[in-house]
Amino acid sequence: MTSALLGTAALTLVLACAVGSRPRLWLALNSLGTLAGLGAAATVLTGGRGWALRSALTLGGENVFLALDALSALFLTLVCLTGGLGALYSSEYWSDEHFPRSAPRGRSWWSALVLFMGLVLTCANGLHFLFAWEAFALSAYFLITLDRERSEVRRAGWLYLAASHAGTMALFAFFSALAAGVGTWDLGPLRDRPDLAPLFWLALMGFGVKAGMFPLHIWLPSAHAGAPSHVSAIMSGVAVKMGVYGIVRFSGWLPVPDGAGWTVLGIGCASALVGIVFAMAQNDIKRLLAYCTVENVGIILIGLGLALLAATHGHPVWGQVALAGSLLHVFNHCLFKSLLFFGAGSVLHATGTRDMSRLGGLWRAMPWTAALFAIGAAAVSGLPPLNGFVSEWAIYQGLLKAVAQKGETFGVLPAVIVLAGTGALALGAFAKASAIVFLGAPRGKTSGHAAECGLSMRAAMVVPAVLMLCVGLMPGYFLNMVQACIAAWTPQWAASAPPIPARAIGGAHTALACALVAAAVFALRKVRAGGIRRGPTWDCGYAAPTAHMQYTGGSFAGIVTGWFRWLLRPDRRIRRVRGYFPESALALERVPETVLEKGVGPAARAVMLLADAARGLQHGRLHLYILYVFLGVTALGMLVFHGGM
Amino acid sequence: MSTMLDLSLRLLAWLVLAPLLPGVINKVKAWVAGRQGPPVLQLYFDLARLWRKGVVVSTLASPGFVIAPAVAWVAVVGAALLLPLAGAGAPASFDGDVLLLVYLLALARFCTAWGAMETGSAFEGMGAAREVSYAVLAEVGIITAVLTLVVQSGSISLSSMFAPLPGPSAALLAVGLFIILLAENCRVPFDDPNTHLELTMIHEVMVLDHSGPPLAMILHGASVKLMLFAVLLAQAVLPLSELALPASVGVLALAVLLTTVTVGLVESLTARLAFRRVPLLLTIGFLFCLFPLLLTWMGDI
Repeated sequence: MTSALLGTAALTLVLACAVGSRPRLWLALNSLGTLAGLGAAATVLTGGRGWALRSALTLGGENVFLALDALSALFLTLVCLTGGLGALYSSEYWSDEHFPRSAPRGRSWWSALVLFMGLVLTCANGLHFLFAWEAFALSAYFLITLDRERSEVRRAGWLYLAASHAGTMALFAFFSALAAGVGTWDLGPLRDRPDLAPLFWLALMGFGVKAGMFPLHIWLPSAHAGAPSHVSAIMSGVAVKMGVYGIVRFSGWLPVPDGAGWTVLGIGCASALVGIVFAMAQNDIKRLLAYCTVENVGIILIGLGLALLAATHGHPVWGQVALAGSLLHVFNHCLFKSLLFFGAGSVLHATGTRDMSRLGGLWRAMPWTAALFAIGAAAVSGLPPLNGFVSEWAIYQGLLKAVAQKGETFGVLPAVIVLAGTGALALGAFAKASAIVFLGAPRGKTSGHAAECGLSMRAAMVVPAVLMLCVGLMPGYFLNMVQACIAAWTPQWAASAPPIPARAIGGAHTALACALVAAAVFALRKVRAGGIRRGPTWDCGYAAPTAHMQYTGGSFAGIVTGWFRWLLRPDRRIRRVRGYFPESALALERVPETVLEKGVGPAARAVMLLADAARGLQHGRLHLYILYVFLGVTALGMLVFHGGM
Repeated sequence: MSTMLDLSLRLLAWLVLAPLLPGVINKVKAWVAGRQGPPVLQLYFDLARLWRKGVVVSTLASPGFVIAPAVAWVAVVGAALLLPLAGAGAPASFDGDVLLLVYLLALARFCTAWGAMETGSAFEGMGAAREVSYAVLAEVGIITAVLTLVVQSGSISLSSMFAPLPGPSAALLAVGLFIILLAENCRVPFDDPNTHLELTMIHEVMVLDHSGPPLAMILHGASVKLMLFAVLLAQAVLPLSELALPASVGVLALAVLLTTVTVGLVESLTARLAFRRVPLLLTIGFLFCLFPLLLTWMGDI
């Protein structure tokens, strides 16, 4: 069953890559492929039994070995879900009509990306894993640079490629060392080899770049902002999760060093806080969403770090809850981030700008997008009764149980406090994003002629919203699904399953949802019955309000960005009002890519300077080269001579 | 059946008693100032009057302008229902329900900010920005207080979380939670519920454009939230679990009344803070919650 479904998926996706120039056929094949993949993942997740295929076929001198267990099936669900929905979305968003040159290319690379991400998840051979990983990274690069006429897109693509390869370098080292240590390229559980534990650091580096954890996230904001929105959705919802998959996978299969739990927890806290502070400060809606991805990866890593701690110290009670929350958050984040990027794409499609300070009042022209974006914003802020709350609640529960136990978990206290601050900041950032874009009066001409997006783009947004509500109202079903992944992560914990009160939270959510809908309907009816008078906004009786007087994104975030000025380092240009007849005043504030521009950039330039200096040694004068050789041989000789003594 | 009855009684208690608190505060303020003051039941009259009125809605506002106050009201009342009432316990309790309470308050905040942004008014945008920003510090303080209770009791469910704290920790936590209560309910010295048209407002400017039944929901929700924080404060600090049921409920009611009177006294005797000092005072509130946490952690290691 699973073999047939996976075979169908692979075959149709290969075909879909080939027919990129024929939109309808491509959409049909891509949908069929992703549906088949989804079926295979669901079979493994609900059946609980893994799937493996060892073929006699060799590639690069190694037998092809494919496997799918519950953990990789969970990530395969994300790949297929966003892979299918994004294709549907792109058929209207990036159509041949608007982009005759890049649309066919985009379709082929889309199917290739989905296919290679599926391969990364199923390859159980280190060498082939690296091939698939590289192919996945490259197809993502071609998708990010789909709109390659714009120089900012080319720059973002280049940065992505460079960062991605830096990560791949660490992975090369990781897999080679692993193969050398074990004696085979085949991957699988090796929990009884404590000598392999230090390899975890290499994996964390390599996969961490892809996961976008702080401070390796430098490539992420510009790549997500510059890419077409359906590509941003799959990059943020799924591609980033491939990095998370790597960390989860190999921390489960290999023994981990002692400090791993605390390190991952610390990195998680830093990513969560830095990510959301930067998100709050952005004026570009897609960049805001991109930084929010860094935050959510941080939340996922907090849960994973706690699970690693629990595994080291032997506390399945809280480790299991935290890991369940973390893995469910992987799924949830894919849902709401796809929805939000699709929503941002609809706004961009309708108005031609991503700059929030030029948007506003879009709810009237785009009621569907506005309502769906608001649901996504509430979910990403972790508000009940939606899915974001369920996973954050489980992670919190793990943290609180660890705290309640006391003992060696003092370091968990700051993590809880950071997570609380992050949650409140996320609410601020998304209140800002949804309110500035969709509410109030239009801030520029751009919002004037906006129109609601078409049926397929709307459908691609409705599906994740419905799934989000399902996770919120029936969390027990999804937590059971995640439970199978935990058993794949560490078999010891399967026996001692602690009761996650999923039924209680599901009941509370259902009651709450019913009450909310009833109250909303009742309030609307009551107000209509009492009579509505329309009038201009009162605004304390101010007689001549204009749209420019509204709060902008920058002023909304002003208080928080003021607190974090030491971190954000904003560029400010202020021309104050001067003299009796002032001409004009101006206040501009831009938050740069601080970590890239003020941290990694200067370091990279220092390396380049050193390299330039070293290039002076290479000048083409043969006699000096002979001198180098002579000096080198002499030095070596002296070394050997001294060593011999 | 008895659980349904229990639930409806609690709901009734929260809904009916909550508007009493702002009345008490106003009476205390009038008494200190030597005035007669409005009757204690004034808020009930106001709510009844608003409920009968029609509404004026900004031309810019979407249906969300009416829905948001309703959602916020349900969220606050839902949060209140999760809270146990001394010896009477909680109607439903499960591991981690305390987080549901915190996040329901966050849902209410999201909706209030959403409703404020609907009108495109600079004033209301200002209020919404301040609300979501200062809530960061307040929420961090609340979670720290919750951590203290978790460490002390070893439980993560509200029904068994309120274990008696040792004296010094209880005193510090009381101060911390009281500061957060003032901030979250927009009382002096953070905000002044008496004025509407000042540049230093938070909550009142967010509801400037609301009228009729939605405004009634907002005012009632605010009073429920005040009572929620007063009940939380009383239970976190007082060893109510050691008393018998009638005594514990009586002590709880007295403590809530005392908290309300203290709010009134603070309001009469202090001036509103300069606006840039607000984060400082909130940080002090957080520290007052942090020290009992450290004390409790060190206490029996």
